[in-house]
Amino acid sequence: VSRQDHIREFAAKALGDGRVDYFIGWKQAYNSSEVIPAFVKDPAEVEQLVWNPLCQHNLVTFLKRNMPDPPGAKIGVCVKGCDSRTLVALLQEELVDKEKLYVVGVPCDGIVDRRKLEKELAAEMVDIAFPDKGKIVVTTRQGETKEFDQKAVELDVCARCRYPNPLYADDTAGPPEAEPEYDITKPDFGDVAAYEALTDGDKQALLEQIYSTCVRCFACINVCPVCFCWDKCVNRSRTPEIVSQKVEPKENLLFQMVHMMHVAGRCPSCGACDRACPVEIPLYLLHRKMNKELYDMFRFEPGVKLDEKPVFQVFDLKDQFGD
Amino acid sequence: MADQTTTEASGAVLGAAPGAALDPATGAAAPGQAGSTGDRPVKIIGIVCNWCSYAGADTAGVGRFKQPANMRLIRVPCTGRIDPLFALKAFQKGADGVLISGCHPGDCHYSEGNYYARRKFELLERMIHHLGIPKERFKWTWVSASEGQRWQQVVTKFVAGVERLGPREGRAL
Repeated sequence: VSRQDHIREFAAKALGDGRVDYFIGWKQAYNSSEVIPAFVKDPAEVEQLVWNPLCQHNLVTFLKRNMPDPPGAKIGVCVKGCDSRTLVALLQEELVDKEKLYVVGVPCDGIVDRRKLEKELAAEMVDIAFPDKGKIVVTTRQGETKEFDQKAVELDVCARCRYPNPLYADDTAGPPEAEPEYDITKPDFGDVAAYEALTDGDKQALLEQIYSTCVRCFACINVCPVCFCWDKCVNRSRTPEIVSQKVEPKENLLFQMVHMMHVAGRCPSCGACDRACPVEIPLYLLHRKMNKELYDMFRFEPGVKLDEKPVFQVFDLKDQFGD
Repeated sequence: MADQTTTEASGAVLGAAPGAALDPATGAAAPGQAGSTGDRPVKIIGIVCNWCSYAGADTAGVGRFKQPANMRLIRVPCTGRIDPLFALKAFQKGADGVLISGCHPGDCHYSEGNYYARRKFELLERMIHHLGIPKERFKWTWVSASEGQRWQQVVTKFVAGVERLGPREGRAL
């Protein structure tokens, strides 16, 4: 039985029993080369739910606002390993009601980065198939087919993943994935090393270049599962006007730094913001660095232990910071 | 001294007074170029807690301890009130350096504000350096109300460090 069948079975049972009012999973988009979030209300509709390495969306995002929505609703949701950490982060701060949730954990062995595929192909993709484990076959509109090694086109965050299996789930879709072969006893922040090696002047020049392309569409904060001050977002406040409406590198970086500092201690670097950005700003340079420093300061990893409080919600008299 | 500068400084940082905004085109030295002071004196924003460091600055003034006049103080109720955004916004608006100061751990007027704050500031400091702003331009420390002498030393040393780098021409923040 595949994981997809497990998800459908859990969804149908939960909907049939009335355990949930609706179930959030993934479904195929306009063609089989892409997957979008699915909201299933009827047990007869669970056949549309899918699970494959294209299911990149972090569905916890849909739980963050006005939870439960509508009031009193019970919600079923699918989470991958990284998504489960964002859910745990929300649970740590009691921002979602555990009693209203039914969580299906989906062990995951890596998600495909569609942008990497797009760059490899001249034409639009119309189908992505997964004939064997670790192999993907892409068909374009011109009828061209090309085979890829899944590891070569997966998301950068997946290459350093230490939690392929969900950390919090009521039911798990199938057996757990094998743990990665590399050292997972501590996080690897090698992806920001190249940036860190730059001089101060080069960092500023690079950031200026990167953030000159930001159009302030707010996709990164809308999709971020742990960024939820919706009614009072300081980035959208006009009185006082903290971040102005002017779109220029300094304002854009300030906006992004506000986002980063506000999700510090909650953000497990799931990478949803990187994937949502329409101009491909490498936001991981900020959130991975932030998590690196949090690990260095507190040996803290966001969203790992349910009974832990995020580091900025608590303090310790024995902290050794400052002079 | 502190009283006079507070209003002006907060205006500059919160964007209420366009006239007080810094001119980026002052022909200043490139960032990080040591030994140059550029054409204008450096502007430094000090964000201080009402109960300790602000009073400490007052003590320094009353004691007539000589100190650089580049510092514009912003008084906040507690270091726990200081959002990391304040420092980032100051840099974005053209400050050459930001100094944050409050009560020593254990002395917080509200018991525990600075315990929370020091965690934030440590991360903020590391992230500010990550953006390519040199270490000398950001500092956070503790100065109590009676430590006028220490305030003088902290400010003198910090301003000297910033002056060595000269006025800042931030490109990305």
